[in-house]
Amino acid sequence: MVIENPLPHFAEWFPAAAVSWLLVAGVLTVAALVLGCLVSVLRYGPGAGLGAALATAFSGVVDVVCMSPRRVAALAWLAVKESIRRRVILVFGLFVVILLFAGWFLDVGSSEPAKLYLSFVLTATTYLVLLLALFLSAFSLPADVKSRTIQTVVTKPVRPSEIVLGRMVGFTIVGTVLLALMSVVSYFFVTRGVGHTHEVLAENLKPAGAAVNGRQPLSGTTESSQGHRHKLYVDASGKGVVESEFGHWHEIETTAWGDKPSFEVGGPEGMFQARVPIYGKLRFRSREGTDVDRGINVGDEWFYRSFIQGGSVAAAIWTFSNLRESQFSEGLPVEMNIEVFRTYKGNIEKGVLGSLSLRNPRTGLIVEVKVFESKDFTPLFIMVPRKITEFSSADVISSKRETPDKGVEFSPPQNLLDRRLAERKEFDLFNDLVADGELEIWIRCLEPSQYFGAGQPDLWLHAADASFELNFFKGYFGIWLQMVLVIAFGVTFSTFLSGPVAMLATVGAMIGGFFSDFLTRLSQHAVLGGGPFEAIIRLVRQENLMTELEPGLRTTAAQMADRVAEAGLWVIAHILPPFTEFNYADWVAYGFDITWDPWIVVPTLRALAFLVPVFVAGCFFLKTREVAQ
Amino acid sequence: MQSSEVVIETRSLSKVYRDFWGRQKVRALKALDLEIRRGEIFGLLGPNGSGKTTTVKLVLGLLFPTSGQALVFGRDATDVKKNERIGYLPEESYLYRFLNAEETLDFYGRLFDMPAPLRRQRTADLIEMVGLGWAKRRQLREYSKGMTRRIGLAQALINDPELIVLDEPTTGLDPIGCREMKDLILRLRDEGKTILMCSHLLADVQDVCDRIGILYQGELQELGRVDSLLKVRDTTEIRASGLSEACQAEIRQVIERHGGQVQSIGNPTTTLEELFLHIIRESEAHPGRRVRGGAGNGH
Repeated sequence: MVIENPLPHFAEWFPAAAVSWLLVAGVLTVAALVLGCLVSVLRYGPGAGLGAALATAFSGVVDVVCMSPRRVAALAWLAVKESIRRRVILVFGLFVVILLFAGWFLDVGSSEPAKLYLSFVLTATTYLVLLLALFLSAFSLPADVKSRTIQTVVTKPVRPSEIVLGRMVGFTIVGTVLLALMSVVSYFFVTRGVGHTHEVLAENLKPAGAAVNGRQPLSGTTESSQGHRHKLYVDASGKGVVESEFGHWHEIETTAWGDKPSFEVGGPEGMFQARVPIYGKLRFRSREGTDVDRGINVGDEWFYRSFIQGGSVAAAIWTFSNLRESQFSEGLPVEMNIEVFRTYKGNIEKGVLGSLSLRNPRTGLIVEVKVFESKDFTPLFIMVPRKITEFSSADVISSKRETPDKGVEFSPPQNLLDRRLAERKEFDLFNDLVADGELEIWIRCLEPSQYFGAGQPDLWLHAADASFELNFFKGYFGIWLQMVLVIAFGVTFSTFLSGPVAMLATVGAMIGGFFSDFLTRLSQHAVLGGGPFEAIIRLVRQENLMTELEPGLRTTAAQMADRVAEAGLWVIAHILPPFTEFNYADWVAYGFDITWDPWIVVPTLRALAFLVPVFVAGCFFLKTREVAQ
Repeated sequence: MQSSEVVIETRSLSKVYRDFWGRQKVRALKALDLEIRRGEIFGLLGPNGSGKTTTVKLVLGLLFPTSGQALVFGRDATDVKKNERIGYLPEESYLYRFLNAEETLDFYGRLFDMPAPLRRQRTADLIEMVGLGWAKRRQLREYSKGMTRRIGLAQALINDPELIVLDEPTTGLDPIGCREMKDLILRLRDEGKTILMCSHLLADVQDVCDRIGILYQGELQELGRVDSLLKVRDTTEIRASGLSEACQAEIRQVIERHGGQVQSIGNPTTTLEELFLHIIRESEAHPGRRVRGGAGNGH
């Protein structure tokens, strides 16, 4: 699974984030105050204008602080009633219809049907719920203003903050109920959709070993179901296992013995997972044997993965910290997903050979524990046993890194290397290879002129399994966060814009939010092809992204305009919520546990950090608006 | 009942409507100075576009003044705290049509932060008062215009307000409803409440208002007590019954002898409203009998 922007843990993220938020909030408040004063002075003159602006700001603060929960609840209740009247339940009906049709088109015979189903339901739910949130929130207040029902409300002792919050809470309640219904229906749709069993026919089985107490162990294959079949083995006790295929296996129980044995095959196991990963820190070893931050660029415009050359000393090295013996008492479960870049086709049916080694960063002992065959992006699982007796090679080596003064630093120093460490026939995972909880895993490509590509999350340790059901609902929590943000933006825009315009503005905020990462990189000049104006020139002149533009007045002017545009893009990227951060669909579909810290806690707080200013802005817009005009 | 306490005060209140670009579209109100005291019924009169509704909206804080100030209970009109003591019946009872009468009153009661038992009591009392007990569970979308006005009035009274602002209160009501509305306005005044109403219907204003202000093209043209404004000082009206033709001729001679000029002598007519109400009352008292209106009915 691709994780382009890994999040820091709460403890290391929060202090700096809080300071940054306070700073931005302060700057925005001052800017809004100055702007408000300017507008007011222009409208009412210097004395009265300034007084009116400051009075409005003060009473606005009072409005936000002195909200009545009863009034907010009443307005939220009204929003719920209004949504029911607008027949939001139809959206749920539409969702059910989509699922019914999807049942025809989703291929349960694909290699990873669970991933397909989970991605589909989460994506469909996201789009439907966000669309619903968009329409409900953007059109409600403008409809009230148009029908003038707002006049009967604002002539009661209702504060603008209560109207805005009541709307937000009401629509959130509606969306939450709908989302909860959708999640339950989706859960059953997915588990029933890919759930299956296999028939086992006696004629497809043959004896496998000597009979025990007259009971014959058997091996063979199951019948095909959902486009696949499994190899199976049933021992003399009647218990059977099938080989994992398509990401799952089944349990088998013998129900009758004799000439015509019969078997009962259980449902798919291991299909729905929530694996708890431990990620390491990735660095590379160059062809020259020096440690570098990035590997070779094979011409890919996406810098997520770096590459190592096959048949050389180059390696991708993950350093894991805080490994505990109690956590991995049975051994080290390593899972990886390596990209293969071929410079020649070779035997395309076969994978490219690679090796996995473990290295003790303190002693330099490195043991090559496994040679594997990697096909492009095929998940690999290697269980490194606690006692390593089977290995290809063992050595003691230092890692080499260039120092800033162009010198070279070895770790551990070469004179301290004890080569006798590698002469043993058996290694203990924790006693010999893990030092103070630290361990390095090296991946090498063994075939010359072929390359392996890796990003940091491409190799990880499978620490534990969490509850799939909980993970599934965490995935829906991500959709809920997105929904709340859309509602907040929709309601705020609708406090001063008409319904259709508020909807367009909210859609703009959503699109900007979805691409906020790209906008940030664009504003930091980190995207190939320059900024928007340079890109226009390249489009018109059909020039590629890599070549420099011809120097001249036009190029200089475009690049100067880009500097200005980049500043604007930086602001936009930072005032819009990064919607992709709240999208956990991949985590659920690929079977990774969405850990509370940081993946739930940090995005939730970030969403809150956006919600507060958006709400305050909505209050001020409504307060300064003449609702009867 | 009227006191010297000023409930509504406007000081050079002006309103200019502008377009999106800030260009002046219309000057709706020009330097209005007005004081409305506690316990009086004040009527704002004027033709369409004269600034009546603009004045009401400025007083309620629904619009912001271009210049000048509107004070209600001594507070600025944009202060929400003042709304705790105000009841407002807009021109067309702008209510949520997907709610029923009980839900509507309960909702507005909650906006006044009223506790649930009090809301229930007020809701029941007001529904009873406006005579909608039989339709209290029906959504307002099914209500006739008159029923909507009644529930609109009920919501305006949910907080037992000290100041009641009524915009065209009798619009959409049948003559019985009109009379009931006017009676209610007078009763509310008798309870010590202050009422500001604006209306096109001069008869309504004449019937209930203590003082009136007449607006024309955004300017206050006339202000004063209804009885003194309507008094025609150079004309004397004598009403008597049972006079013969000879007696009438003699009275005519007496007037002429004293230098007066007889403008007309004849039988006065009642108002159509009075006639209508009389017929309805009679019909209810004597079902099936045709009621004779007009002259000689002793009315």
